[in-house]
Amino acid sequence: MRLLQRRALAAVGLYRAGRVMQINGVAIDDTFAEAFAMKATRIVVTAHNERWALHAGVSATGFATSVIACGCEAGIERALAPHETPDGRPGVALLLFATSGKELARQIERRVGQCVLTCPTTAAYAGLAEGESVALGKNLRFFGDGWQASKVIGGVRYWRVPVMDGEFVVQETTPVIKAVGGGNLLLLCSSTDAALAAAEAAVAAMRRVPGAIMPFPGGVVRSGSKVGSKYASLIASTNDAFCPSLTRLAPRSELDDSVRCVLEIVIDGLSESAVAQAMRAGIAAVVARGAAGGALRISAGNYGGRLGPFHFHLRALAGAAS
Amino acid sequence: MSGWRLVARAQPRLRIDARVLQPAALAGLSRPEVERVTLRQGRDAVPLAELFDIERIEASTTARLVVEGDLSRFDHLGWCMSEGELQVRGSVGDYAGAAMAGGRMTIAGHAADLAACAMRGGWLEVSGDVGDLAASALPGEMDGMRGGTFVLRGSAGTRLADRMRRGRVVVFGDTGDFMASRMVAGTVALAGRCGAHPGWGMRRGSLVFAGFVPEVAPTFTPVHSNADVFWQLLARDLASFGGPFASLAQRRLRRYAGDLAVLGKGELLMPE
Repeated sequence: MRLLQRRALAAVGLYRAGRVMQINGVAIDDTFAEAFAMKATRIVVTAHNERWALHAGVSATGFATSVIACGCEAGIERALAPHETPDGRPGVALLLFATSGKELARQIERRVGQCVLTCPTTAAYAGLAEGESVALGKNLRFFGDGWQASKVIGGVRYWRVPVMDGEFVVQETTPVIKAVGGGNLLLLCSSTDAALAAAEAAVAAMRRVPGAIMPFPGGVVRSGSKVGSKYASLIASTNDAFCPSLTRLAPRSELDDSVRCVLEIVIDGLSESAVAQAMRAGIAAVVARGAAGGALRISAGNYGGRLGPFHFHLRALAGAAS
Repeated sequence: MSGWRLVARAQPRLRIDARVLQPAALAGLSRPEVERVTLRQGRDAVPLAELFDIERIEASTTARLVVEGDLSRFDHLGWCMSEGELQVRGSVGDYAGAAMAGGRMTIAGHAADLAACAMRGGWLEVSGDVGDLAASALPGEMDGMRGGTFVLRGSAGTRLADRMRRGRVVVFGDTGDFMASRMVAGTVALAGRCGAHPGWGMRRGSLVFAGFVPEVAPTFTPVHSNADVFWQLLARDLASFGGPFASLAQRRLRRYAGDLAVLGKGELLMPE
Protein backbone atom coordinates (compact mmCIF):
# COMPACT_ATOMS: atom_id res chain seq x y z
CA MET A 1 0.00 0.00 0.00
CA ARG A 2 1.34 3.43 -0.82
CA LEU A 3 0.06 6.95 -0.95
CA LEU A 4 0.60 9.05 -4.05
CA GLN A 5 -0.24 12.61 -4.87
CA ARG A 6 -3.16 12.46 -7.25
CA ARG A 7 -3.88 15.09 -9.84
CA ALA A 8 -6.96 17.00 -8.85
CA LEU A 9 -9.72 16.23 -11.26
CA ALA A 10 -11.58 18.96 -12.97
CA ALA A 11 -14.75 17.40 -11.71
CA VAL A 12 -16.87 19.64 -9.59
CA GLY A 13 -19.08 16.85 -8.35
CA LEU A 14 -18.97 15.10 -5.05
CA TYR A 15 -15.65 13.41 -5.50
CA ARG A 16 -13.02 14.70 -3.12
CA ALA A 17 -9.66 14.81 -4.85
CA GLY A 18 -6.59 14.34 -2.75
CA ARG A 19 -3.92 11.85 -1.84
CA VAL A 20 -4.57 8.47 -3.33
CA MET A 21 -4.18 5.12 -1.69
CA GLN A 22 -3.01 2.33 -3.94
CA ILE A 23 -3.07 -1.36 -3.22
CA ASN A 24 -1.53 -3.64 -5.83
CA GLY A 25 -1.72 -0.71 -8.19
CA VAL A 26 -5.45 -0.23 -7.68
CA ALA A 27 -6.28 3.27 -6.48
CA ILE A 28 -8.73 3.64 -3.65
CA ASP A 29 -10.50 6.96 -3.81
CA ASP A 30 -10.69 9.10 -0.73
CA THR A 31 -14.44 9.00 -0.62
CA PHE A 32 -17.26 7.11 0.94
CA ALA A 33 -20.37 5.18 0.02
CA GLU A 34 -23.46 6.75 1.45
CA ALA A 35 -26.21 4.42 2.57
CA PHE A 36 -29.61 5.00 4.04
CA ALA A 37 -32.03 3.32 6.42
CA MET A 38 -34.38 0.67 5.09
CA LYS A 39 -36.73 -1.92 6.49
CA ALA A 40 -35.87 -5.55 5.85
CA THR A 41 -36.87 -9.10 6.50
CA ARG A 42 -35.48 -12.53 5.85
CA ILE A 43 -37.76 -15.24 4.51
CA VAL A 44 -36.78 -18.89 4.41
CA VAL A 45 -38.27 -20.78 1.50
CA THR A 46 -37.99 -24.55 1.48
CA ALA A 47 -39.00 -27.08 -1.12
CA HIS A 48 -38.85 -30.76 -2.00
CA ASN A 49 -35.35 -30.24 -3.35
CA GLU A 50 -32.89 -27.41 -3.83
CA ARG A 51 -33.89 -26.89 -7.45
CA TRP A 52 -37.47 -26.00 -6.61
CA ALA A 53 -36.43 -23.88 -3.66
CA LEU A 54 -34.20 -21.96 -6.03
CA HIS A 55 -36.99 -21.58 -8.57
CA ALA A 56 -39.18 -20.01 -5.90
CA GLY A 57 -36.35 -17.87 -4.57
CA VAL A 58 -35.33 -16.55 -7.98
CA SER A 59 -38.92 -15.81 -8.85
CA ALA A 60 -39.74 -14.10 -5.54
CA THR A 61 -36.68 -11.87 -5.75
CA GLY A 62 -37.11 -11.08 -9.42
CA PHE A 63 -37.69 -7.50 -10.56
CA ALA A 64 -36.36 -6.28 -7.24
CA THR A 65 -33.21 -4.42 -8.20
CA SER A 66 -34.05 -0.96 -6.96
CA VAL A 67 -36.69 0.67 -4.81
CA ILE A 68 -36.84 3.39 -7.42
CA ALA A 69 -39.34 1.38 -9.44
CA CYS A 70 -39.52 -2.16 -8.10
CA GLY A 71 -41.08 -1.53 -4.72
CA CYS A 72 -38.32 -3.38 -2.95
CA GLU A 73 -34.80 -4.66 -3.34
CA ALA A 74 -34.38 -8.36 -2.83
CA GLY A 75 -32.03 -11.21 -3.37
CA ILE A 76 -31.11 -14.71 -2.38
CA GLU A 77 -28.81 -14.46 0.61
CA ARG A 78 -27.69 -18.07 0.42
CA ALA A 79 -28.80 -21.66 -0.03
CA LEU A 80 -29.76 -23.52 3.13
CA ALA A 81 -28.96 -27.12 3.89
CA PRO A 82 -31.77 -29.34 5.21
CA HIS A 83 -30.48 -29.14 8.76
CA GLU A 84 -30.78 -25.36 8.67
CA THR A 85 -34.47 -25.17 7.81
CA PRO A 86 -37.54 -25.60 10.05
CA ASP A 87 -38.92 -28.56 8.08
CA GLY A 88 -35.66 -30.33 7.30
CA ARG A 89 -35.80 -29.72 3.57
CA PRO A 90 -33.40 -27.75 1.35
CA GLY A 91 -34.14 -24.09 1.09
CA VAL A 92 -33.00 -20.60 0.35
CA ALA A 93 -32.83 -17.52 2.52
CA LEU A 94 -34.27 -14.44 0.87
CA LEU A 95 -33.64 -10.88 1.98
CA LEU A 96 -36.13 -8.17 1.09
CA PHE A 97 -35.57 -4.45 1.65
CA ALA A 98 -37.95 -1.53 1.24
CA THR A 99 -38.03 2.08 2.23
CA SER A 100 -40.92 1.61 4.65
CA GLY A 101 -42.39 -1.20 6.68
CA LYS A 102 -45.73 -0.72 4.96
CA GLU A 103 -44.28 -1.09 1.48
CA LEU A 104 -42.22 -4.05 2.59
CA ALA A 105 -45.32 -5.77 3.96
CA ARG A 106 -47.05 -5.20 0.63
CA GLN A 107 -44.10 -6.61 -1.30
CA ILE A 108 -43.77 -9.66 0.95
CA GLU A 109 -47.38 -10.58 0.49
CA ARG A 110 -47.32 -10.00 -3.24
CA ARG A 111 -44.09 -11.88 -3.88
CA VAL A 112 -44.75 -14.82 -1.57
CA GLY A 113 -48.29 -15.05 -2.85
CA GLN A 114 -47.38 -15.03 -6.51
CA CYS A 115 -43.98 -16.71 -6.52
CA VAL A 116 -43.74 -19.03 -3.50
CA LEU A 117 -47.32 -20.14 -2.95
CA THR A 118 -47.48 -20.94 -6.66
CA CYS A 119 -44.24 -22.91 -6.80
CA PRO A 120 -44.61 -26.69 -6.30
CA THR A 121 -43.77 -28.15 -2.89
CA THR A 122 -42.63 -24.92 -1.28
CA ALA A 123 -43.15 -23.61 2.25
CA ALA A 124 -42.26 -20.21 3.66
CA TYR A 125 -41.01 -19.25 7.11
CA ALA A 126 -39.74 -16.18 8.88
CA GLY A 127 -35.96 -16.08 8.91
CA LEU A 128 -35.47 -13.51 11.65
CA ALA A 129 -36.06 -14.06 15.34
CA GLU A 130 -37.06 -10.57 16.41
CA GLY A 131 -38.59 -7.45 14.98
CA GLU A 132 -41.90 -5.85 14.24
CA SER A 133 -44.19 -8.52 12.84
CA VAL A 134 -45.81 -8.12 9.45
CA ALA A 135 -48.04 -10.55 7.64
CA LEU A 136 -46.42 -13.43 5.81
CA GLY A 137 -49.19 -15.99 5.48
CA LYS A 138 -51.73 -14.14 7.56
CA ASN A 139 -53.69 -12.95 4.55
CA LEU A 140 -52.46 -15.48 2.00
CA ARG A 141 -54.36 -18.08 3.98
CA PHE A 142 -57.62 -16.86 2.51
CA PHE A 143 -56.59 -18.50 -0.74
CA GLY A 144 -57.71 -21.65 1.06
CA ASP A 145 -61.32 -20.51 0.69
CA GLY A 146 -62.25 -21.70 4.15
CA TRP A 147 -60.34 -24.98 3.97
CA GLN A 148 -57.22 -23.42 5.44
CA ALA A 149 -56.22 -24.43 8.96
CA SER A 150 -53.90 -22.85 11.45
CA LYS A 151 -51.55 -24.62 13.79
CA VAL A 152 -49.46 -23.26 16.61
CA ILE A 153 -46.28 -25.30 16.91
CA GLY A 154 -43.62 -24.31 19.39
CA GLY A 155 -45.32 -20.99 19.95
CA VAL A 156 -45.31 -20.13 16.24
CA ARG A 157 -48.50 -19.97 14.22
CA TYR A 158 -48.48 -21.58 10.81
CA TRP A 159 -51.17 -21.74 8.15
CA ARG A 160 -51.87 -24.81 6.08
CA VAL A 161 -53.48 -23.90 2.80
CA PRO A 162 -54.77 -26.76 0.64
CA VAL A 163 -53.24 -26.64 -2.85
CA MET A 164 -53.14 -29.11 -5.69
CA ASP A 165 -49.88 -30.79 -4.66
CA GLY A 166 -50.86 -31.14 -1.02
CA GLU A 167 -50.72 -28.11 1.20
CA PHE A 168 -48.81 -24.86 1.36
CA VAL A 169 -47.41 -24.30 4.84
CA VAL A 170 -46.57 -20.72 5.69
CA GLN A 171 -45.72 -18.96 8.91
CA GLU A 172 -48.27 -16.35 9.87
CA THR A 173 -45.90 -13.40 10.28
CA THR A 174 -42.32 -12.41 9.70
CA PRO A 175 -40.32 -9.88 11.72
CA VAL A 176 -39.18 -6.67 10.05
CA ILE A 177 -36.10 -4.88 11.28
CA LYS A 178 -34.22 -1.69 10.52
CA ALA A 179 -31.57 -2.26 7.88
CA VAL A 180 -29.13 -0.46 5.65
CA GLY A 181 -29.48 -0.01 1.91
CA GLY A 182 -27.38 1.59 -0.76
CA GLY A 183 -23.85 0.61 0.15
CA ASN A 184 -21.89 0.62 -3.07
CA LEU A 185 -18.60 0.21 -4.84
CA LEU A 186 -17.66 1.68 -8.20
CA LEU A 187 -15.08 -0.32 -10.10
CA LEU A 188 -13.26 1.83 -12.63
CA CYS A 189 -11.51 -0.38 -15.15
CA SER A 190 -9.55 -0.28 -18.34
CA SER A 191 -11.91 -2.45 -20.37
CA THR A 192 -15.26 -4.19 -20.33
CA ASP A 193 -13.62 -7.57 -19.84
CA ALA A 194 -11.58 -6.29 -16.92
CA ALA A 195 -14.58 -4.62 -15.32
CA LEU A 196 -16.74 -7.72 -15.60
CA ALA A 197 -13.99 -9.93 -14.20
CA ALA A 198 -13.36 -7.58 -11.29
CA ALA A 199 -17.06 -7.24 -10.55
CA GLU A 200 -17.66 -10.97 -10.70
CA ALA A 201 -14.78 -11.61 -8.33
CA ALA A 202 -16.04 -8.96 -5.95
CA VAL A 203 -19.62 -10.24 -6.00
CA ALA A 204 -18.45 -13.81 -5.42
CA ALA A 205 -16.57 -12.67 -2.33
CA MET A 206 -19.41 -10.48 -1.10
CA ARG A 207 -21.98 -13.25 -1.41
CA ARG A 208 -20.16 -15.13 1.32
CA VAL A 209 -21.03 -12.38 3.79
CA PRO A 210 -24.16 -13.23 5.83
CA GLY A 211 -26.92 -10.67 6.01
CA ALA A 212 -26.11 -8.87 2.76
CA ILE A 213 -27.35 -9.02 -0.80
CA MET A 214 -26.40 -7.41 -4.08
CA PRO A 215 -29.83 -6.90 -5.67
CA PHE A 216 -28.86 -6.11 -9.28
CA PRO A 217 -28.48 -8.69 -12.05
CA GLY A 218 -25.50 -10.84 -11.18
CA GLY A 219 -24.95 -8.42 -8.30
CA VAL A 220 -23.71 -5.76 -10.70
CA VAL A 221 -25.24 -2.58 -12.11
CA ARG A 222 -23.98 -0.66 -15.11
CA SER A 223 -26.52 2.13 -14.96
CA GLY A 224 -25.47 3.83 -11.78
CA SER A 225 -27.72 6.77 -11.14
CA LYS A 226 -27.67 10.17 -9.56
CA VAL A 227 -30.59 11.78 -7.83
CA GLY A 228 -32.74 13.96 -10.10
CA SER A 229 -32.69 14.79 -13.76
CA LYS A 230 -33.00 17.69 -16.12
CA TYR A 231 -36.44 16.25 -16.80
CA ALA A 232 -38.79 17.12 -13.99
CA SER A 233 -40.67 13.85 -14.15
CA LEU A 234 -37.62 11.71 -13.42
CA ILE A 235 -36.36 11.16 -9.90
CA ALA A 236 -33.08 9.58 -11.03
CA SER A 237 -30.90 9.72 -14.10
CA THR A 238 -27.59 8.42 -15.36
CA ASN A 239 -24.54 9.01 -13.21
CA ASP A 240 -22.79 11.12 -15.83
CA ALA A 241 -19.77 11.64 -13.57
CA PHE A 242 -18.84 7.98 -14.07
CA CYS A 243 -19.85 7.44 -17.70
CA PRO A 244 -16.70 6.86 -19.80
CA SER A 245 -18.50 8.10 -22.88
CA LEU A 246 -18.82 11.49 -21.20
CA THR A 247 -15.27 11.79 -19.85
CA ARG A 248 -14.44 14.85 -21.87
CA LEU A 249 -18.00 16.04 -22.23
CA ALA A 250 -19.73 16.08 -18.87
CA PRO A 251 -18.54 18.83 -16.54
CA ARG A 252 -19.04 16.53 -13.56
CA SER A 253 -16.93 13.72 -14.98
CA GLU A 254 -14.60 12.05 -12.53
CA LEU A 255 -12.90 9.87 -15.09
CA ASP A 256 -9.80 10.17 -17.15
CA ASP A 257 -9.02 8.58 -20.49
CA SER A 258 -7.65 5.38 -18.99
CA VAL A 259 -11.05 4.40 -17.60
CA ARG A 260 -13.13 2.74 -20.29
CA CYS A 261 -15.71 0.89 -18.24
CA VAL A 262 -17.27 1.43 -14.81
CA LEU A 263 -19.45 -1.07 -13.00
CA GLU A 264 -21.18 -0.60 -9.69
CA ILE A 265 -22.04 -3.07 -6.99
CA VAL A 266 -24.90 -2.06 -4.70
CA ILE A 267 -25.16 -3.68 -1.30
CA ASP A 268 -28.12 -3.93 1.07
CA GLY A 269 -27.53 -5.40 4.50
CA LEU A 270 -29.41 -6.30 7.62
CA SER A 271 -26.96 -4.16 9.56
CA GLU A 272 -24.33 -1.52 9.03
CA SER A 273 -21.64 -4.06 9.81
CA ALA A 274 -22.98 -6.50 7.20
CA VAL A 275 -22.73 -3.83 4.52
CA ALA A 276 -19.26 -2.84 5.67
CA GLN A 277 -18.13 -6.44 5.74
CA ALA A 278 -19.45 -7.03 2.23
CA MET A 279 -17.77 -3.90 0.89
CA ARG A 280 -14.53 -4.92 2.57
CA ALA A 281 -14.73 -8.34 0.97
CA GLY A 282 -15.44 -6.79 -2.43
CA ILE A 283 -12.53 -4.38 -2.21
CA ALA A 284 -10.21 -7.17 -1.11
CA ALA A 285 -11.26 -9.33 -4.04
CA VAL A 286 -10.65 -6.54 -6.56
CA VAL A 287 -7.30 -5.41 -5.21
CA ALA A 288 -6.15 -9.01 -4.95
CA ARG A 289 -6.38 -9.17 -8.73
CA GLY A 290 -4.28 -6.02 -8.88
CA ALA A 291 -3.97 -3.38 -11.55
CA ALA A 292 -2.73 -6.03 -13.95
CA GLY A 293 -6.28 -7.35 -13.96
CA GLY A 294 -7.50 -4.07 -15.38
CA ALA A 295 -9.04 -2.53 -12.29
CA LEU A 296 -7.67 1.01 -12.05
CA ARG A 297 -9.65 2.62 -9.29
CA ILE A 298 -12.28 1.84 -6.71
CA SER A 299 -14.66 4.62 -5.90
CA ALA A 300 -18.09 4.96 -4.37
CA GLY A 301 -21.23 7.01 -4.77
CA ASN A 302 -22.41 9.51 -2.26
CA TYR A 303 -24.53 12.61 -2.07
CA GLY A 304 -22.33 14.67 0.15
CA GLY A 305 -23.80 13.14 3.26
CA ARG A 306 -27.28 14.41 2.50
CA LEU A 307 -28.86 11.08 1.61
CA GLY A 308 -28.29 8.84 4.59
CA PRO A 309 -26.57 8.47 7.92
CA PHE A 310 -24.39 5.50 7.00
CA HIS A 311 -21.02 6.43 5.52
CA PHE A 312 -18.63 3.70 4.46
CA HIS A 313 -15.21 5.19 3.89
CA LEU A 314 -13.35 3.22 1.26
CA ARG A 315 -9.89 3.77 2.63
CA ALA A 316 -10.84 2.61 6.07
CA LEU A 317 -12.42 -0.49 4.58
CA ALA A 318 -9.50 -1.05 2.21
CA GLY A 319 -7.03 -0.65 5.03
CA ALA A 320 -8.84 -3.28 7.03
CA ALA A 321 -9.16 -5.48 3.98
CA SER A 322 -5.48 -5.33 3.15
CA MET B 1 -34.89 -14.39 44.51
CA SER B 2 -36.01 -16.54 47.38
CA GLY B 3 -38.71 -19.13 47.80
CA TRP B 4 -40.44 -21.30 50.32
CA ARG B 5 -40.64 -24.97 51.10
CA LEU B 6 -43.85 -26.16 52.69
CA VAL B 7 -44.01 -29.65 54.19
CA ALA B 8 -47.50 -30.89 55.03
CA ARG B 9 -47.79 -31.99 58.64
CA ALA B 10 -50.80 -34.27 58.21
CA GLN B 11 -53.63 -34.78 55.83
CA PRO B 12 -56.48 -32.39 56.69
CA ARG B 13 -59.85 -33.86 57.63
CA LEU B 14 -61.66 -31.75 55.04
CA ARG B 15 -60.66 -30.57 51.61
CA ILE B 16 -58.55 -27.45 51.35
CA ASP B 17 -58.68 -24.81 48.64
CA ALA B 18 -54.99 -24.17 48.01
CA ARG B 19 -55.25 -21.58 45.26
CA VAL B 20 -53.39 -18.98 47.31
CA LEU B 21 -50.19 -21.04 47.19
CA GLN B 22 -48.61 -18.99 44.42
CA PRO B 23 -44.80 -18.85 44.12
CA ALA B 24 -44.68 -15.19 43.13
CA ALA B 25 -47.15 -14.06 45.78
CA LEU B 26 -45.34 -15.83 48.62
CA ALA B 27 -41.80 -15.01 47.49
CA GLY B 28 -42.02 -11.42 48.64
CA LEU B 29 -43.40 -12.18 52.07
CA SER B 30 -41.57 -12.53 55.37
CA ARG B 31 -41.84 -15.70 57.43
CA PRO B 32 -44.53 -14.30 59.78
CA GLU B 33 -46.51 -13.12 56.82
CA VAL B 34 -46.26 -16.51 55.14
CA GLU B 35 -47.33 -18.22 58.34
CA ARG B 36 -50.44 -16.02 58.50
CA VAL B 37 -51.51 -16.72 54.93
CA THR B 38 -54.82 -18.55 55.15
CA LEU B 39 -56.26 -21.34 53.05
CA ARG B 40 -60.01 -21.86 52.71
CA GLN B 41 -61.37 -25.03 54.23
CA GLY B 42 -65.07 -25.00 53.64
CA ARG B 43 -66.30 -21.92 55.52
CA ASP B 44 -63.15 -21.69 57.61
CA ALA B 45 -59.78 -20.14 56.96
CA VAL B 46 -56.74 -22.07 58.16
CA PRO B 47 -53.35 -20.39 58.59
CA LEU B 48 -50.54 -21.92 56.59
CA ALA B 49 -48.52 -22.51 59.74
CA GLU B 50 -51.17 -24.92 61.02
CA LEU B 51 -50.88 -27.09 57.94
CA PHE B 52 -47.22 -26.92 56.96
CA ASP B 53 -43.72 -26.72 58.31
CA ILE B 54 -42.32 -23.68 56.57
CA GLU B 55 -38.75 -23.25 55.46
CA ARG B 56 -37.11 -20.55 53.33
CA ILE B 57 -35.14 -21.78 50.32
CA GLU B 58 -32.96 -20.06 47.80
CA ALA B 59 -34.19 -19.76 44.25
CA SER B 60 -32.32 -18.65 41.16
CA THR B 61 -34.11 -16.09 39.05
CA THR B 62 -37.76 -16.97 39.44
CA ALA B 63 -39.96 -17.22 42.48
CA ARG B 64 -40.06 -20.80 43.70
CA LEU B 65 -42.41 -22.71 45.93
CA VAL B 66 -41.95 -26.33 46.93
CA VAL B 67 -44.85 -28.15 48.55
CA GLU B 68 -44.34 -31.64 49.95
CA GLY B 69 -46.50 -34.34 51.46
CA ASP B 70 -49.82 -36.00 50.80
CA LEU B 71 -51.78 -33.19 49.23
CA SER B 72 -54.59 -35.27 47.82
CA ARG B 73 -57.13 -33.18 49.75
CA PHE B 74 -55.63 -29.93 48.47
CA ASP B 75 -57.53 -28.62 45.44
CA HIS B 76 -56.75 -25.76 43.08
CA LEU B 77 -52.98 -25.96 43.51
CA GLY B 78 -51.47 -23.64 40.91
CA TRP B 79 -54.87 -22.14 40.10
CA CYS B 80 -54.41 -19.16 37.73
CA MET B 81 -50.67 -19.26 38.34
CA SER B 82 -48.96 -16.82 36.02
CA GLU B 83 -45.28 -16.87 36.95
CA GLY B 84 -42.67 -18.63 39.01
CA GLU B 85 -42.05 -22.27 39.69
CA LEU B 86 -44.31 -24.49 41.77
CA GLN B 87 -42.93 -27.90 42.65
CA VAL B 88 -45.27 -30.39 44.29
CA ARG B 89 -43.77 -33.53 45.77
CA GLY B 90 -46.78 -35.70 46.39
CA SER B 91 -50.22 -36.31 44.99
CA VAL B 92 -52.71 -33.47 44.71
CA GLY B 93 -56.47 -33.01 44.54
CA ASP B 94 -58.71 -31.56 41.84
CA TYR B 95 -58.06 -28.62 39.56
CA ALA B 96 -54.25 -28.84 39.74
CA GLY B 97 -52.84 -26.19 37.42
CA ALA B 98 -56.31 -25.18 36.34
CA ALA B 99 -56.58 -21.83 34.53
CA MET B 100 -52.81 -21.59 34.73
CA ALA B 101 -51.48 -18.73 32.60
CA GLY B 102 -47.71 -18.94 32.95
CA GLY B 103 -44.79 -20.26 34.93
CA ARG B 104 -43.94 -23.87 35.53
CA MET B 105 -45.66 -26.40 37.77
CA THR B 106 -44.47 -29.95 38.33
CA ILE B 107 -46.25 -32.61 40.31
CA ALA B 108 -44.25 -35.62 41.42
CA GLY B 109 -47.31 -37.72 42.09
CA HIS B 110 -50.87 -38.06 40.90
CA ALA B 111 -53.50 -35.41 40.31
CA ALA B 112 -57.23 -35.92 40.62
CA ASP B 113 -59.89 -34.61 38.23
CA LEU B 114 -59.81 -31.49 36.11
CA ALA B 115 -56.03 -31.04 36.12
CA ALA B 116 -54.93 -28.37 33.65
CA CYS B 117 -58.51 -27.54 32.80
CA ALA B 118 -58.92 -24.11 31.21
CA MET B 119 -55.14 -23.82 31.22
CA ARG B 120 -54.05 -20.74 29.24
CA GLY B 121 -50.27 -20.84 29.34
CA GLY B 122 -47.18 -22.07 31.12
CA TRP B 123 -46.00 -25.60 31.65
CA LEU B 124 -47.63 -28.28 33.79
CA GLU B 125 -46.00 -31.65 34.19
CA VAL B 126 -47.46 -34.56 36.17
CA SER B 127 -45.28 -37.58 36.74
CA GLY B 128 -48.15 -39.82 37.86
CA ASP B 129 -51.73 -40.24 36.65
CA VAL B 130 -54.55 -37.74 36.41
CA GLY B 131 -58.29 -38.23 36.76
CA ASP B 132 -61.07 -37.35 34.37
CA LEU B 133 -61.51 -34.20 32.34
CA ALA B 134 -57.88 -33.14 32.41
CA ALA B 135 -57.12 -30.24 30.06
CA SER B 136 -60.82 -29.79 29.54
CA ALA B 137 -63.19 -26.94 30.34
CA LEU B 138 -64.23 -25.65 33.71
CA PRO B 139 -67.75 -26.80 34.53
CA GLY B 140 -70.15 -24.59 32.63
CA GLU B 141 -67.52 -23.12 30.32
CA MET B 142 -67.39 -23.65 26.56
CA ASP B 143 -63.61 -23.76 26.07
CA GLY B 144 -61.19 -26.26 27.48
CA MET B 145 -57.44 -25.86 27.64
CA ARG B 146 -56.51 -22.85 25.53
CA GLY B 147 -52.74 -22.54 25.76
CA GLY B 148 -49.56 -23.81 27.37
CA THR B 149 -48.14 -27.29 27.63
CA PHE B 150 -49.44 -30.16 29.73
CA VAL B 151 -47.11 -33.14 30.00
CA LEU B 152 -48.48 -36.27 31.59
CA ARG B 153 -46.00 -39.03 32.31
CA GLY B 154 -48.70 -41.37 33.56
CA SER B 155 -52.23 -42.04 32.34
CA ALA B 156 -55.40 -39.98 32.15
CA GLY B 157 -59.03 -40.77 32.80
CA THR B 158 -61.91 -40.07 30.45
CA ARG B 159 -62.55 -36.94 28.45
CA LEU B 160 -58.94 -35.80 28.34
CA ALA B 161 -58.78 -32.51 26.41
CA ASP B 162 -62.54 -32.23 26.08
CA ARG B 163 -63.34 -28.95 24.26
CA MET B 164 -59.61 -28.15 24.10
CA ARG B 165 -59.00 -25.04 22.03
CA ARG B 166 -55.24 -24.42 21.91
CA GLY B 167 -51.95 -25.63 23.40
CA ARG B 168 -50.47 -29.07 23.53
CA VAL B 169 -51.03 -32.12 25.67
CA VAL B 170 -48.40 -34.84 25.68
CA VAL B 171 -49.32 -38.13 27.33
CA PHE B 172 -46.80 -40.90 27.86
CA GLY B 173 -49.33 -43.34 29.33
CA ASP B 174 -52.87 -44.30 28.35
CA THR B 175 -56.10 -42.35 28.27
CA GLY B 176 -59.72 -43.24 28.86
CA ASP B 177 -62.71 -42.96 26.58
CA PHE B 178 -63.60 -39.87 24.59
CA MET B 179 -60.10 -38.46 24.41
CA ALA B 180 -60.19 -35.00 22.80
CA SER B 181 -63.94 -35.11 22.47
CA ARG B 182 -65.47 -31.93 21.07
CA MET B 183 -61.94 -30.60 20.52
CA VAL B 184 -61.85 -27.16 18.92
CA ALA B 185 -58.12 -26.97 18.16
CA GLY B 186 -54.71 -27.72 19.61
CA THR B 187 -52.56 -30.83 19.75
CA VAL B 188 -52.80 -34.00 21.80
CA ALA B 189 -49.95 -36.49 21.45
CA LEU B 190 -50.40 -39.93 22.95
CA ALA B 191 -47.74 -42.56 23.45
CA GLY B 192 -49.94 -45.23 25.02
CA ARG B 193 -53.38 -46.62 24.31
CA CYS B 194 -56.65 -44.74 24.35
CA GLY B 195 -60.20 -45.77 25.12
CA ALA B 196 -63.18 -45.65 22.80
CA HIS B 197 -64.18 -42.74 20.58
CA PRO B 198 -61.00 -40.66 20.35
CA GLY B 199 -61.71 -37.32 18.73
CA TRP B 200 -65.45 -37.71 19.05
CA GLY B 201 -67.05 -34.53 17.73
CA MET B 202 -63.70 -32.82 17.20
CA ARG B 203 -63.96 -29.73 14.96
CA ARG B 204 -60.26 -28.98 14.43
CA GLY B 205 -56.99 -29.94 16.09
CA SER B 206 -54.52 -32.78 15.81
CA LEU B 207 -54.36 -36.09 17.65
CA VAL B 208 -51.02 -37.85 17.33
CA PHE B 209 -50.92 -41.56 18.09
CA ALA B 210 -47.24 -42.29 18.53
CA GLY B 211 -47.55 -45.88 19.64
CA PHE B 212 -51.07 -47.12 19.22
CA VAL B 213 -53.46 -47.29 16.31
CA PRO B 214 -57.00 -46.68 17.55
CA GLU B 215 -60.17 -47.81 15.88
CA VAL B 216 -61.12 -44.98 13.57
CA ALA B 217 -64.75 -43.96 13.63
CA PRO B 218 -66.64 -43.91 10.33
CA THR B 219 -67.02 -40.16 10.68
CA PHE B 220 -63.31 -39.81 9.91
CA THR B 221 -62.01 -40.13 6.37
CA PRO B 222 -58.51 -41.08 5.20
CA VAL B 223 -56.46 -38.33 3.54
CA HIS B 224 -53.70 -39.52 1.24
CA SER B 225 -52.24 -36.20 0.12
CA ASN B 226 -48.79 -35.04 1.10
CA ALA B 227 -48.64 -33.34 4.50
CA ASP B 228 -44.95 -33.95 5.11
CA VAL B 229 -44.06 -30.32 5.71
CA PHE B 230 -46.58 -29.85 8.47
CA TRP B 231 -45.73 -33.26 9.89
CA GLN B 232 -42.03 -32.41 10.07
CA LEU B 233 -42.79 -29.19 11.93
CA LEU B 234 -45.04 -30.94 14.41
CA ALA B 235 -42.92 -34.07 14.81
CA ARG B 236 -39.75 -32.07 15.41
CA ASP B 237 -41.54 -30.07 18.06
CA LEU B 238 -42.82 -33.21 19.78
CA ALA B 239 -39.41 -34.86 19.51
CA SER B 240 -38.18 -32.62 22.31
CA PHE B 241 -40.30 -34.69 24.72
CA GLY B 242 -38.20 -37.75 23.96
CA GLY B 243 -39.30 -41.33 24.45
CA PRO B 244 -41.68 -42.58 21.78
CA PHE B 245 -42.00 -39.06 20.39
CA ALA B 246 -38.30 -38.74 19.59
CA SER B 247 -38.47 -40.69 16.35
CA LEU B 248 -41.73 -39.28 14.97
CA ALA B 249 -40.04 -37.22 12.28
CA GLN B 250 -38.52 -40.35 10.77
CA ARG B 251 -41.86 -42.11 10.47
CA ARG B 252 -44.29 -41.88 7.57
CA LEU B 253 -47.63 -40.38 8.27
CA ARG B 254 -51.10 -41.85 7.96
CA ARG B 255 -53.81 -39.24 8.33
CA TYR B 256 -57.56 -39.16 8.83
CA ALA B 257 -59.70 -36.02 8.72
CA GLY B 258 -62.77 -35.54 10.85
CA ASP B 259 -65.00 -35.56 12.74
CA LEU B 260 -67.24 -35.15 9.72
CA ALA B 261 -70.26 -35.16 12.00
CA VAL B 262 -69.21 -31.63 12.86
CA LEU B 263 -66.77 -29.28 11.10
CA GLY B 264 -64.42 -32.08 10.07
CA LYS B 265 -61.19 -30.07 10.04
CA GLY B 266 -59.54 -32.10 12.77
CA GLU B 267 -57.10 -34.89 12.07
CA LEU B 268 -55.89 -38.16 13.49
CA LEU B 269 -52.18 -38.57 12.79
CA MET B 270 -50.79 -42.08 12.92
CA PRO B 271 -47.10 -42.33 12.12
CA GLU B 272 -46.22 -45.75 10.74
